[in-house]
Amino acid sequence: MPGVWVIAENSNYTLELLSKGLEIANELNEKLVAFSFGNEELANDYISCGADEVFVLPALNRELPFEAYVPLIVAEAKKEMPEAIIVCATQRGTELASRVAAGLNTGLATGCISVRVDKGNLVMERLVFGGAAVQTVICTTRPQMAAIPPGTYEKAQPREDRRGQIKVVAGNVETKVKVVERRKKEQEEIDLTEAKIIVSVGRGFEKQEDISLARELARLLGGEVGCTRPIAEELHWLPEERYMGISGKKVKPDLYIGLGVSGQVQHVTGIRDAKIIMAVNTDENAPIFDAADYGIVGNLYDVVPKLMTEIKAALNK
Amino acid sequence: MLKIIVCFKWVIDEADIKVSGKSRELDLSRVAYKISDYDRNAIEEAVRLQEQLGGSVVAVTVGPPTAKQSLKDALSRGPEKAVFVSDPAFDSLEPAQTAAILAEVITKNLEYDLIICGEGSSDLYAQQVGPRLAEKLGIPCATYVEKIIIKDKELIAERKMRDGIEVVSMPLPALVTVMPTINTPRIPSLKQVLGAAKKPVVNLSAKDLEGKYEPCLKTTSLLAATMERKRIKFTDDPQDIRKVVDALLKEGVIS
Ligand SMILES: Cc1cc2nc3c(=O)[nH]c(=O)nc-3n(C[C@H](O)[C@H](O)[C@H](O)COP(=O)(O)OP(=O)(O)OC[C@H]3O[C@@H](n4cnc5c(N)ncnc54)[C@H](O)[C@@H]3O)c2cc1C
Ligand SMILES: Nc1ncnc2c1ncn2[C@@H]1O[C@H](COP(=O)(O)O)[C@@H](O)[C@H]1O
Repeated sequence: MPGVWVIAENSNYTLELLSKGLEIANELNEKLVAFSFGNEELANDYISCGADEVFVLPALNRELPFEAYVPLIVAEAKKEMPEAIIVCATQRGTELASRVAAGLNTGLATGCISVRVDKGNLVMERLVFGGAAVQTVICTTRPQMAAIPPGTYEKAQPREDRRGQIKVVAGNVETKVKVVERRKKEQEEIDLTEAKIIVSVGRGFEKQEDISLARELARLLGGEVGCTRPIAEELHWLPEERYMGISGKKVKPDLYIGLGVSGQVQHVTGIRDAKIIMAVNTDENAPIFDAADYGIVGNLYDVVPKLMTEIKAALNK
Repeated sequence: MLKIIVCFKWVIDEADIKVSGKSRELDLSRVAYKISDYDRNAIEEAVRLQEQLGGSVVAVTVGPPTAKQSLKDALSRGPEKAVFVSDPAFDSLEPAQTAAILAEVITKNLEYDLIICGEGSSDLYAQQVGPRLAEKLGIPCATYVEKIIIKDKELIAERKMRDGIEVVSMPLPALVTVMPTINTPRIPSLKQVLGAAKKPVVNLSAKDLEGKYEPCLKTTSLLAATMERKRIKFTDDPQDIRKVVDALLKEGVIS
């Protein structure tokens, strides 16, 4: 049986894919195969969480990146001819999936927002045009491949009665790409996706210090501060965990307040699931007003203090 | 002397996309086109490296005949030559096809030390063409690159990963995909815009390709991502602002 393969760069993401993989493997009537990288102990965890078979690949030398596994995975896939390969779409996962797909001359849908099975095909939905549209694709070649972002599924839970096979894949992991340095970044503890209220900072803010205005509003409402991509990536005014959009966080707060945010589709895509969207922008034609329930046309430096006064009065704070 | 190839895509400006009625169908009748956003960074990086180290920059694009308009724009940004691979069927290529076509064209027509692609295209944002192309050409690659240093025949790239920076080294020839944070693309001067028309363009068509390049993916639907919103606008005077606060209270989203 060729199987459904799930591949992720760490064990948490592998467990997420196993829960979806189990469903897909059942519908396709295939065995479920997980990959463990240099760790045989994890193989047993994966089996108790649903894998019928686990391929254990050799451990990496420290100077090799995860993507170095591409040739081994391609070689293995050519032998086994899996029916489907599901990869966790971290950045490394996306590169790995693309190169494996190229090596196998097959199709791959990256950044899938949903995957289901219909008549033996994975039906994969993904966003295009910066999030303005949803494209549904199927793969006409085999293996069919999907890359799904981390956090899309709950982790699979272990069960007592599970049995499976472990296969140790031998071989040299070789690549011309060597890691010469790793500079870990301080990870913030906040999870914007859990916030009930988000005050979002856009380029309408003139200086970094002015973000205190957004912080005060957020504090008053018991919310968190988020931002657009340029605020985080170009200006480095806020950490990258805080930007929302097609390439950032997808959030679902009760209330999103955009301050000086133009509302281009790449950003709006990340806030589509907000219950209420409110925005302050000087430009009455800014696209954010089409995406907002309540829009205030005005200067944020003038509107935010007034807004806080009104909120304090209304909430008796 | 460094021979650089930069791959860019001519795409629909997503800001011009309208939705026709309730059907969620896309109305593309009034859209303008542009060089895919991050490909402007890719072109800029190629030109900067050439300015630093000498050598040449060739810009390559695959698309329908209408993408011809892109060439002047691309060339005004600094490359000295363009290769335009076109066919009416190339208006809806998927990444596997684009990468395979690029691989054939590059192998047969161009010498290179370095190939630069964008992190992802503005329309499909598949993030596939770069790494697929590297795999087809059998060269090493680094994705999500924020800084490039070239020493002799070695490339050092800083990759911006979610958990920090990873610095990698590899021998040339190699391929990198660049993040928008790698540089700020220059705005072409009038002289550069006028000069672009005189730069050489190599035109290739599907007939010049040996491969067949069938798609591996089939699009079964393409629908607007719509959102129901109230879209009520207010002014900045205190009375209006109070109305907004009242509305938020009524919605039960602040307390
Ligand atoms: C492939 C791709 C992926 C992307 N992914 C993302 C993503 O995930 N997330 C994201 O956010 N962006 C993303 N972007 C970028 C996106 O297209 C926009 O450029 C970005 O969201 C704009 O940020 P902004 O609204 O802060 O800035 P701007 O577009 O510059 O808008 C600033 C706004 O502030 C208003 N303003 C100015 N002064 C004031 C004032 N005093 N008071 C009130 N309003 C004022 C202006 O009218 C303007 O509307 C992506 C782009 C591409 C090409
Ligand atoms: N039609 C094309 N012609 C030339 N280069 C392309 C084309 N499509 C994509 N690319 C390159 O591949 C990158 C990634 O595209 P994508 O895989 O579609 O996200 C782009 O930033 C370009 O550098």
